[in-house]
Amino acid sequence: MLLFRDEEHVERWCATREMRCGALLSADQAWQLAKGWYGSKLRPDWRRHTLAEAESLFASIGLTGDFWKLRG
Amino acid sequence: MKPLSPDIDTLAQEVRHYLFRQAADTAAVPQAPEIATALGRREPEIRAALHQLAAGRALILAPNDGTIWSANPFCAVPSGFRVQASGRRYWAICAWDALGIAAALHSDATITAACGECSTPLTLDIRDGAVEGDRAVIHFAIPARHWWDNIGFT
Repeated sequence: MLLFRDEEHVERWCATREMRCGALLSADQAWQLAKGWYGSKLRPDWRRHTLAEAESLFASIGLTGDFWKLRG
Repeated sequence: MKPLSPDIDTLAQEVRHYLFRQAADTAAVPQAPEIATALGRREPEIRAALHQLAAGRALILAPNDGTIWSANPFCAVPSGFRVQASGRRYWAICAWDALGIAAALHSDATITAACGECSTPLTLDIRDGAVEGDRAVIHFAIPARHWWDNIGFT
């Protein structure tokens, strides 16, 4: 997951590689995702998210649609 | 030296606690020899535990030599994503993990990385639990269900 100045730079990066662009997150969305994903990583009782928990986290910050599905 | 443990899961948890705590407290990800010394275990046991943790996607091993590449979000080697937090300099393998270091430490942080397209230096600041700084965006190129098909590219 790379950082870009803006959406136009993402589109240029994808075009150069003849790739379809994926999902674009604002810095705040990525921060919310990071907090949900890694906020408990140092706790002794940490465990990986289940697929359902991960999808629920994605949805809670507006990341929905086929790109963010982990099941099915 | 402790006896060989028949319970790889228990040892893997012990290894995980140690290496993530060390990574957080020192900004350096310990490798198998250091972990073995610290935990009073044999190195082959530690390597087996690290493979167990990698299989469970708690960390990523380098493809050829089995060293820890990233105890996510803490990268074991310098990278293009630098995180200054808690008076230390950390590295991350991607923008998400760079933010993840601040999240794991529950700390303010300054993240610096180059724009993936034009290499312009960009900065994100985490202050009091909120992100500030450049109006940068993060691009996820690979759909979520395929992230682990090639985690290096992801």
